Amino acid sequence: MKKIALLVVILAASSAAGIAVASTSSVTITTPKVNSSLAQHHNPYTAVAGTVSFANSAPATSRFYLRRDGCGTTNDNPHLSITSGTDAGDGCGLILDQVGLVGDAAPQATFTDYAASDGMPLALDGTHAINGQVSLSGGQVGLAEVDVTLEALIGGQAVTIGSGSGSALLDPTGTSTPVPFTISPNMALDGSDVQALDLRVTIHGPNVYSGFVALSGASYVDVPSYTASVNKSVSISLDDPTFSSPIPARVSGSTWSVAIPTPAVGKHTIYAESTQGFDTSSPASTTYTVKK
Amino acid sequence: MKLKKTLTTIALAVATASLGAGSATGSTSLAQSTLRHPLYMPDASHQTASALQPPPICCAPTGPPVAGEPAPVNMAYFGGHVQVTPKIYLVFWGWGETGAFDHSTPGMPTYDPDGAAARMTAFVQAMGGTDWAGVSTQYYETVNGQNVNIQNPSNVFGGVWYDNTNPIHNNVSGLELAQEAQRAVAHFGVVDLDNSQFVIAQPQLYNEAGFNSGAGYCAWHDYTQPQYYPGVQPGISFTNMPYVLNSGSGCGENSVNTDYYAGRLDGFTIVMGHEIEETITDPGAEDVINGVNLGGWYDYSAYENGDKCAWVGYSEGLLPPSVVPGGVNAITGNDGQQYPVQSLWSNDSAGGVGYCAGAGDDLPVTG
Repeated sequence: MKKIALLVVILAASSAAGIAVASTSSVTITTPKVNSSLAQHHNPYTAVAGTVSFANSAPATSRFYLRRDGCGTTNDNPHLSITSGTDAGDGCGLILDQVGLVGDAAPQATFTDYAASDGMPLALDGTHAINGQVSLSGGQVGLAEVDVTLEALIGGQAVTIGSGSGSALLDPTGTSTPVPFTISPNMALDGSDVQALDLRVTIHGPNVYSGFVALSGASYVDVPSYTASVNKSVSISLDDPTFSSPIPARVSGSTWSVAIPTPAVGKHTIYAESTQGFDTSSPASTTYTVKK
Repeated sequence: MKLKKTLTTIALAVATASLGAGSATGSTSLAQSTLRHPLYMPDASHQTASALQPPPICCAPTGPPVAGEPAPVNMAYFGGHVQVTPKIYLVFWGWGETGAFDHSTPGMPTYDPDGAAARMTAFVQAMGGTDWAGVSTQYYETVNGQNVNIQNPSNVFGGVWYDNTNPIHNNVSGLELAQEAQRAVAHFGVVDLDNSQFVIAQPQLYNEAGFNSGAGYCAWHDYTQPQYYPGVQPGISFTNMPYVLNSGSGCGENSVNTDYYAGRLDGFTIVMGHEIEETITDPGAEDVINGVNLGGWYDYSAYENGDKCAWVGYSEGLLPPSVVPGGVNAITGNDGQQYPVQSLWSNDSAGGVGYCAGAGDDLPVTG
């Protein structure tokens, strides 16, 4: 009961001071001041300004493990996950006997898609290589070639981040043979907010192989990323809390500003909100009066 | 008597598949009819399923097309109206209702987590004036002895309605879809029903009963008549457009674009485009009411312009479909974007013999 009362007090205080509470960013309006007034004939434009804070966008790496829920079931569900664990689909997933030529064309039907089930959204760092490994285990001898393609959904559009290959001599005596790979990402995608991610894995090569992709932490892809989105903005809205016609503000460090034509004589409310990636803050607001 | 009982039994079975459960009135009506059912678009695995074939017209139907190949023989005009200046209205029924989807995607609307509604809307806005839509301009209706050809205006988009007011549920019946189409007529204030069609698109977890049952089709279109849709305003052309991603590659997923995300929505424009163009050329859906044929253009096996070219070249990943003339392919819309479609039957192609055309890979192969 006490906690609830305290929360109400905090929310009330935030609202009164024009402070917005948000998960990764927040915004305030410092100009015009609450309940201030200005003369229209002296001020054809109204200066609007405030402060903003965003979560730090530091370089990081997001590791996605290749995982699989089942083996030969209708819901094997190969997928990527940022958490590792024992996979029920480990020890299965790929049964392949192949003797091929070096660089042989990989049959299209042999690829497996691992779509991310968590870890989204992700702020992509496209300036660094994407590394990973696909471990192979089972009865095996020869050279295994692994082709990978990383595809993403960005802005609702499917884009290829990049492709890569790796190869390794299969070790018939070992538990599994890690086949490392490197993907050079499309640098134009640096800073993009990734909505969904898929790793397509194709295994081929001059080998005799009857086995599977080793899971349970043995196969993964490391995607360079930022700890928070680098796409940061502030927008304001005049007398419209729904922001149906948002006006972008100029952000400089921890402050923002914009000038708008002074509205008609009367009382007006300016709303401001900050956006970082897919996260939008609660709006801050200030009410002021325009006089003749 | 035995024959009559058999026919009634078959009709009831078809009624179950087409109108679905939850509509005793609709089922009774169908039971009293013959083998009439909506005009299905079979999925890639059920192209020859006899229960999904249109009722034969007469004497010597040629049978279902060979899977992956066009159905030969040109179409004929059966006397009904066509949509000369088509307007397509999209209804996303219940997409914003609780339980419509089992997932969300960051940055995507909760009512459209896969972008399917956005893709379908963009396609309808962009299809007008394309060569693909232009295939239908060779077909016409005859009014007072004059042939009036179908037009290919740049804007065929009538409007979009996210209806989250009228509750949807899983396993909706055909009658309920028709009722939703009638509500859409009122919502949009449509008065020219002859040139209007309504696509009733369903969200991931609330789909039409026959689609859910695995009957083997991706979508169908139909025409409201009191015999088949009692209580519904007559003369509405509408499409049952399920969430075809639920059927995966069977309804076109990755049929043109092979990458995981790039191809997830392929089926939506292929299947919806099939139904839209069939409705333009045959809005009366082959209905014969009191001896009057309301149908437009189809062949003597009752295959419409979409049916005759469905899934041409599609081998579910073995070969790129566009290497086959008339195979499913991407066209460029009037917005410059690419949209996967199937080709459409053109009586004029192949020197008048007829072939599938419009998908950018006409005879000879150019795409």
